[in-house]
Amino acid sequence: MSGSLFAQGLALGLLAGGLYALLSSGLTLYFGVMRVVMVAHPAFLFLAAYTTYFLHRVTGMDPLLTIVATVPLFFAVGIGIQRLLVSRLAPESLAMMSVLLTFALALLIEGGLGVVATGSYRSITVEYATSAVRVFGVALPIDKLIGFGIAAVTFVAIFLILRVTRFGKALRATIQHPTAAMLVGIDTNRVRGIGFGIGLATAAIGGAVLAIIDPFFPAAHWDYIGKLMAIIVVGGLGSVQGAAIAALLLGAIEGVVQVSAGATWAGLIFYGFLFATLLLRPQGFFGGRLAERF
Amino acid sequence: MRQIRRRRPLLASVVTLGLLLTACGEDDADDPTAGGNDSPGDSEETPTGDPITIGISLPLTGDFSEPGKGIQEGYETWAAMMNDSGGLLDRPVELIFRDDASDPNKVVSDYESLITQEEVDLVFGPFSTRLVIPAAGVAESYDMLFVEPAGAAPEVFEQGFEYLFYAAPAIASDHYNYLAEWILGLPEDERPQTAAYAALDDPFAQGTAYGLKEKLEAGGIETVADEVYPPGTTGFTAIAAGIADADADMVVGGTQFEDTVGLLRAFQDLGYQPDLAAFSTGPTLPEFEEAVGAASEGVIAPVGWSVEADFGANQEFAEKHREVHGKEPDEDAANGFTTGEIVAAAVEAVECAEQGEECQRALADYIRENEFDTIVGPLSFDEAGRPQSAHMILQWQGGEIQIVLPEDPEVQTADIQYPKAPW
Amino acid sequence: MPNASDLMTGAAARRAAIVVAAAVLLVYPWIAPNSYLRYAGVLVVMYAVLATSWNLVGGFTGYVSLGHAAFFGLGAYGTGILIIDLAVPHVLALAISTVGVVVFAVVVGLAAVRVRGASFVIVSIALVTMMSLIAQDARELTGGSSGLRVPPISADLDRTSNHLLFFNLFAALLFLAALTWWFIDRSRFGAGLKAIREDEDKAEALGVPTTAYKVAVFALSAGFTGVAGGLYGMWFGNLDPIFLFSIIVGANMVIMALLGGVRHLFGPTVGALIVVPASEYFLARFGETQIHIVFSGVLLGIVVLFMPDGIIPKVRVLLRRFGPVSSSIREETQQEFRDRQGVGA
Repeated sequence: MSGSLFAQGLALGLLAGGLYALLSSGLTLYFGVMRVVMVAHPAFLFLAAYTTYFLHRVTGMDPLLTIVATVPLFFAVGIGIQRLLVSRLAPESLAMMSVLLTFALALLIEGGLGVVATGSYRSITVEYATSAVRVFGVALPIDKLIGFGIAAVTFVAIFLILRVTRFGKALRATIQHPTAAMLVGIDTNRVRGIGFGIGLATAAIGGAVLAIIDPFFPAAHWDYIGKLMAIIVVGGLGSVQGAAIAALLLGAIEGVVQVSAGATWAGLIFYGFLFATLLLRPQGFFGGRLAERF
Repeated sequence: MRQIRRRRPLLASVVTLGLLLTACGEDDADDPTAGGNDSPGDSEETPTGDPITIGISLPLTGDFSEPGKGIQEGYETWAAMMNDSGGLLDRPVELIFRDDASDPNKVVSDYESLITQEEVDLVFGPFSTRLVIPAAGVAESYDMLFVEPAGAAPEVFEQGFEYLFYAAPAIASDHYNYLAEWILGLPEDERPQTAAYAALDDPFAQGTAYGLKEKLEAGGIETVADEVYPPGTTGFTAIAAGIADADADMVVGGTQFEDTVGLLRAFQDLGYQPDLAAFSTGPTLPEFEEAVGAASEGVIAPVGWSVEADFGANQEFAEKHREVHGKEPDEDAANGFTTGEIVAAAVEAVECAEQGEECQRALADYIRENEFDTIVGPLSFDEAGRPQSAHMILQWQGGEIQIVLPEDPEVQTADIQYPKAPW
Repeated sequence: MPNASDLMTGAAARRAAIVVAAAVLLVYPWIAPNSYLRYAGVLVVMYAVLATSWNLVGGFTGYVSLGHAAFFGLGAYGTGILIIDLAVPHVLALAISTVGVVVFAVVVGLAAVRVRGASFVIVSIALVTMMSLIAQDARELTGGSSGLRVPPISADLDRTSNHLLFFNLFAALLFLAALTWWFIDRSRFGAGLKAIREDEDKAEALGVPTTAYKVAVFALSAGFTGVAGGLYGMWFGNLDPIFLFSIIVGANMVIMALLGGVRHLFGPTVGALIVVPASEYFLARFGETQIHIVFSGVLLGIVVLFMPDGIIPKVRVLLRRFGPVSSSIREETQQEFRDRQGVGA
């Protein structure tokens, strides 16, 4: 494999990693806040992509501008899901039931999208994003650059919210130890709802980005579930920055493997890392003190 | 422990109920009017009498739903035309569709149900090699003729099926034959020296690309890249990067629609400009131009059917299709129609249309021994059901499809452009 | 009057019910009016086996494996490859393949059970997705995306008889799986597993060898699933990697077990009896669009939110409303009692 090909693969992988980081931050929030494996997160991602697509088709709005509409909507839906569905589950069987419940949600979304939008692949081509910028002989497609930029900005925003704001501290406290958080006066129910909402809002943003990068179809979310799960395990369940580092790392490796050994091996590396993490360091590699074991 | 035992009388009733429901439920579900088949339209000579029922399973949902729907429309146009002109053996034709959701298990259960529960008189084939092989297995075990519109990979014909026939000009590995001939016929200095291949991991798509690869390699054109990607891939930049890095003179895609578009856009993004670009399936669809715009210029594809061609009843087919479905027919619909044509010709000749080895074998023998005048040209078959004709080669020029090979004045509409314009 | 003889009648009634159910099961393939319904029957029994096998892990330990299809697919491919490439006779191939699946499950299990709850689910999803990718890629071994064609167990068997044979084979397997479940349920091993479900740390503190138990039941469950896979391969003949290693198949196993009731012996079977015909029906009726997927999602959601113990308890409560109302614990007068005892007034 030539040097230029390696660099190209690495670059593409990093760009993809940025999107993965954004998506896995949402997944981390669900897990931290409710100990819920939100299998439906990628499904919501594609729901957002379809929403962006139709808004763009019907109103001619620039797909990235649709974020303004989709984010508040998904945020509200997130709060709704947490309040109305997830909190109804009995804590003893939370692991099993939450997976199944969110799995049911994913099926509902996939079926609904299929009925409304049919199974054909959709994509949006924006004129300003069909070419690539060349840096040191490596082609960086503009649509992926934009996607990376948006993902990065959003991620940093979330990170700052978590670190700096009062609400962010309340959220982190709830993630670390819900009972203690309640004892210091945090309204954990409200915090949980909002945490969920933020998670779903990241799906909204991710969906808009995805709509301009790659074609999508209703059943596409299954591919993402495995990858995102692997990323948050490697990064450390419950750690947002851990997930981001793992996302960039795994994305980069995926990119390099994809240009050398092919798409299938590229898919397999996520699981390889997942199993390695479980064997060597089940609490994840990059999570620091915030990471949870289960 | 007593708690478990207490459920058993309850269980017995539920079990019996469940099994009865299975029987009843299936009967209700098998109601042909619920499945969404197209009743033949009314016209001047609507035939009366006991309808000939034809069972078909198609992927109306799932991975293959787009081409699946295309084939369904072709079948429906055929049925409408048949019923317009007096029916088959003077009986109306009735199509019974089932959705197999692109799942090989469902396609088997669909055909099993159609044949043994619905007791259809005839069956037509489904879409895609992956579904054709299991479905053909069912048909074989019940001794049913199996003419199919879309199983073209070489392995379909290596299973020893006696009742299977593929209703299109050529099998997958022969799709690019005219192109191979033309390329190898170019003078040495004009010929492409290196070639790159990108194929969907699907027996049909790979069949087309590797068929060409074999012939080109034999002719001395070096393969510098050979990428395979799984179905459902949507990000092609990394795959394209490998090909762009190798900078082959020509690129060949064994593709369906979305990956054609994905690859092409990725090549554009990376600035890779080959002298010749050929993809299967994608460029044969009118949506192709919509999807890639001006980049369609010069792109080549093998095509079994063309709307302008004057073969057989092609123009009537196109007109009827527009009337019934309100849109232009595509190659999938044409393949469906051809299936109907061949079966109809055999049925009229042998004068039977019912289940049973005697009738179905007679139909199969007739098809094997005769040539048919279809909308894709004259077709005949070998012992394994392979069609013996050849696919044409099209090229997009000025936003329109032109048939560039074979250079037969009856078929060709424009000369091939080579090297192609940059996209 | 409630007395010992009443209890014995009750037990007899229960035994009679089991016999009836078993008889219906055995007779079904003969009375099924056409070959398609026989085929559907095989499918139902196969899923009952899969759901019951899954329940060995899910019901007893509470660990949810959404990727159990991995063992199903491995069993199918293992058997198929042995038959096709190494010309091993069918029955032997099944046996060898099952041993292979169990060994694989032990190895994977040792890694997988180091995590709990949600992470375990993730691991199971990862496992099945990995196998799907590998199966599609390893063309020389598994036939890639075209899959494999397994020759039938006997060329003389026509399709209908084939269905009959495998219906009985799957029914036998179901019986074995149910028997295993039953034994585990009343054994110390089972008690240990249930302790793990209730509170794993306490169980460990009490001396239950949690890792060993978890891996053991995981391997057992995988073994049954693998056998089912091998039988499926021989019956169906066409191995397709996307179906054999699909999360949806795994999810269906879970849905069936949950719907019927994970704490009950025949819960998964009841679940299979409901879900399989229902999904065939929905596909036939509404197959033109993806609405059948919506129905699966709704069904699963309803079960999770409103019937997490399964349908059996709910139905039991319903039927009890129609039964005699029991009021007092004593339903005889004191005089009758003394008469019965043979004691004077």
